[in-house]
Parts: sequence; structure tokens; C-alpha cells
Amino acid sequence: MCEIDDNLNWTEGRDILRNWRESLERRSKDVVEIWETVLMYHIDKLGNEKYLVLEQVCFAALDCYRLPLAEYCVKALMKEFPGSSRVHEYHAMYLEALEMYNEALEVLDSIIKRDETNAAPRKRRVAILKACGHIPEAIKELTEYLKKFMSDQEGWHELCNLYLQEQEYSKAAICIEELILHNPHNHLLHQRYAEIKYSQGGYENMYIAKAYFCQAIKLNPNNIRALYGLLLATNNLALSLKCPVSQKKGTIKLNEWVAGQIEKQYKNKIADKGNDSKYIEGLLAQLQLEG
Amino acid sequence: MAELLLDPNIRGWVFLPIVVITFLVGIIRHYVSILLSSQKKVELHQVQDSQVMIRSRLLRENGQYIPKTAFLSRRHFFNNEETGYFKTQRRAPVSQNPVTDPAMMTDMLKGNVTNVLPMVLIGGWINWMFSGFVTTKVPFPLTLRFKPMLQRGIELVTLDAAWVSSASWYFLNVFGLRSIYTLVLGENNAADTSRHLQDQVSGAAMSMPPNPKAAFKSEWEALEICEHNWALNGVDDDLLGLRNTSDSIENMYYQSKSGL
Repeated sequence: MCEIDDNLNWTEGRDILRNWRESLERRSKDVVEIWETVLMYHIDKLGNEKYLVLEQVCFAALDCYRLPLAEYCVKALMKEFPGSSRVHEYHAMYLEALEMYNEALEVLDSIIKRDETNAAPRKRRVAILKACGHIPEAIKELTEYLKKFMSDQEGWHELCNLYLQEQEYSKAAICIEELILHNPHNHLLHQRYAEIKYSQGGYENMYIAKAYFCQAIKLNPNNIRALYGLLLATNNLALSLKCPVSQKKGTIKLNEWVAGQIEKQYKNKIADKGNDSKYIEGLLAQLQLEG
Repeated sequence: MAELLLDPNIRGWVFLPIVVITFLVGIIRHYVSILLSSQKKVELHQVQDSQVMIRSRLLRENGQYIPKTAFLSRRHFFNNEETGYFKTQRRAPVSQNPVTDPAMMTDMLKGNVTNVLPMVLIGGWINWMFSGFVTTKVPFPLTLRFKPMLQRGIELVTLDAAWVSSASWYFLNVFGLRSIYTLVLGENNAADTSRHLQDQVSGAAMSMPPNPKAAFKSEWEALEICEHNWALNGVDDDLLGLRNTSDSIENMYYQSKSGL
């Protein structure tokens, strides 16, 4: 968090907002605060940047549920750009914040009608369905969207989350696969994929889960969640009846190794505090493979 | 050869006006082209096609990071003989014939209005208005070859090649003011004459290729010959190998075992 000066200059405030805009930082609370402390009184000095700032503040205000402020921004933008689909989208988002979902959907539909290639309002439609709790409808809408805009990573990620809510693990796994294709070196995606496969269960899936936990650990050896995941997956594999004897030894070895790694991680963390890690060792022993 | 002495009125009424006129015309052209510019309409299926191409390229490049079944089902989606995306989508080749496409026609007209027309009109006017003046001299000697370039409109055999005629001065300004426009109007301004040419070159590469059918076919071929080698084979042994190098022989044994 950057400290916001009490006696902030309006040019400084403008520069801070501009920086955040360019680096795509959201920081809604800070944005609203800067707006209210300084920029509000100097809005006319900003020139053409005024509208960019208004847009940013509008978004931030919606985030913070400052509806009067959001309304003010939407109105100001609407007055200046009555035909802009971007402004209409903000209007739809404002309606969403008021929970006037049907009106918001109407606005979004009119935007889509005008420009079919505009991806943002379609995504907002999904968001509205999600907000209403109609998860299956949201999934349907989002799959329709992804048929058109196939390389939208955000969309695939959201679809994965929606499927997970519905506990459709195999479909969620497909979404994560798509994300892995886009970012093959992101350890969190590998870990996520392994977790989904682990939840699916079964020997085959467990084997894949083990491999992806390993990959996540390889990419980031400090990923404690992946370490625990690997511990559980190898436990499961070693105890499975389907596990061939030839692989059993390797699995057990991996299990021991990962237990050692977890212990090491905790020791590293605790070392500077002076506590001993007896507790964790005891807990870990419960997770450990018997025999 | 005796040094020429130019009338100071030439400076005031020819040399400077040409600079100012060309500069202002550039500025006006910038704003006129902003007024006339229309956003290119993109069809939904064009967006879809380009995204499909991205996805299939990624599948080829990073496909080894997902399990084999996942890879095969994706390839099936793209390449299956009956239901595959690349096989079923029939796209009419985008007509590039400007006569049949009215939108193309207006685009071309706008390009002409903002680029070619001012050049011809102003150039002709300058030629008519300021013809026959020797305006300035470049501060270094030049060979005779430069005479047609620098002394357009003055056919004097004896005049030193370093002197610049008014018509040539106009052309020097037209092409030389580009960096000043970027200074005044910012990058990518429309006053720049060379920009129009670049647009034509890079524009085709940015959007979908004009013929999606051919692009689909080449992508289909590339995907068809793409083999899947799971990158995660033996990753667990990698981890164990990191831990202890002394039992590397044992590890190799495991690796060959798990590779089955």
C-alpha cells in the first residue's frame, strides 16, 4: 500500500492515477480516496485526461459500493460520449450494482447488437448470471462465448471455477488444460490441474495428479500446497491395489522425499522464530504412509 | 563564378511561406483524416477464425504439457474429417476486389482525398505561385547530378548545384517535416505520407489472412503431423534426482520403467 499524503497535490494525484492506469493496478479504495481528497476539486484542470480519470474512478467506486460517486461518473461520461459502448458498459455495471439485473442485461444486449465483436459485454452477461446464482445458465452462456472467442484465458479460467462450483471435475480439467496450453510454465496452473485430477479420483487420474504436482514443484520448489498434494497423491497411489509392484517402490520413495521437503520448508520458516517443529512433525506423521 | 546575392524579399515571401504552408497543410491533413477515418468493421467470424488459429498454434507448441488424451481430443476437435473445425468451416474468401466492395471503395476514396489530392493541389499551386525562384543554398558543394533534384523549375546550366529552387524546396519540406509532425502531433499521426504505405503492408498481416481456407488447410496439416510427447514423463524422477545424485543409476532404471 502506498501511503497517501494528506496534503497531496492535485498534479501528484493525477500522476499516481495515471501510473495505476498504465500498469493496470486496480487499488479501488486508494483511487476513490485520491479522488475525494484532491482531484474532485480540480476536475476541470485535467483537460482530456478528465474522462480517463472519471472512468477509473467510476470503476473504483463500483468496487467500493460508492453508488452516488459511480452515478456521478457515469452521468458525466454519458453526457460527453452519449453513443460510446464503453460508457454504456459502465452504465450496465452501475445497474448491476443496483441489482437491476434485467435492465443491465438490456443495456448489454443493445451493446452487443451494435458491435458483435465486442467481448466485454458478453462477459458481463455471464457475470450477471453468476451474481443471480444461475450457475448452469452462466456456464451455458460462457461456453457460447468461448466458442466465439476461443483464446480468452480469463474466460476459460472463469468457466473452470464455475464448473468446480457444480463439481463437474472433468470439464473443469479441460478448462485448466486450455490455460496450461497458454501458460505452460505457470506452476499454479499445474497445481490446480493436479488438484482437480486428484478430486476426480481413480488410479489413472491419481497418476496424472502425481505427475502435475511434481511439475508444479519442479517449477516452484516452495509451493507448499503442491508439496502437500504430492504427499497425499503418492499416499493414495501406494495404497492403491491397481498400482503395479514395479512402480510401488518409486512412489514410496517419492512420498518419503516430499515429506522431507515439507519438513524442510517448515524448518526454514520456523528457524528464525526459535520454535521447534515438533507439532508439524507429529501431524505429518499422521499423513505419512504407514509401513 | 561570382557569388549570387539573393533578395531578402525572397526569404520573406518565398522561402518562409513555403515552409509554413507545407507545415500547416500537414496539420490540416492530420485532422481531416481523423474526421474522415472510419473504424474498420470486423466480422464476428473473422475474430473467431483468428482466435481458433491462435488456439491451434498453442496446441502445437505447448501440447506436450497436457496429457495425451487431452491433446488427442483437442486435435480431434480441430482436425476430424467429419466434425473438425478446420474441415467444417467454409469461409468464402474475403473479396479484395475494391469495385465489388463499396466499403473498400469509400476507404480508397478517403485515402485519396487526404493524401493524394492535397499533394497534387498544393504542389501545383506552389509550382505556379512560386516558380522560378532560387530560394536557398545548401552549405556544401554538390555534383551536377543533384541539379534535377534541387533545381526543379530552373533550367540554368551554369548555376551551381548547391542552389535550391522553390519547387525543390517545397518537396524537401514535404518529406523533411515528418519528424516535426511527430513532435507536434505525436506518434502515428496521419500527416505522415509514408504511413499510408506502411498500413497497406502490415494491415494484411494483422487481421486474418485474406483466404481463411488456405490458412486452415496449412494449420490442419501442421497439426496433423504434430506428435505428442508428454513433457511430464519422468518428472517425479527428476525431483528425486535433484535430491540425491548417488543413486542415479537406480533413477535411470526407474525412468526407463516409468517411461513404458
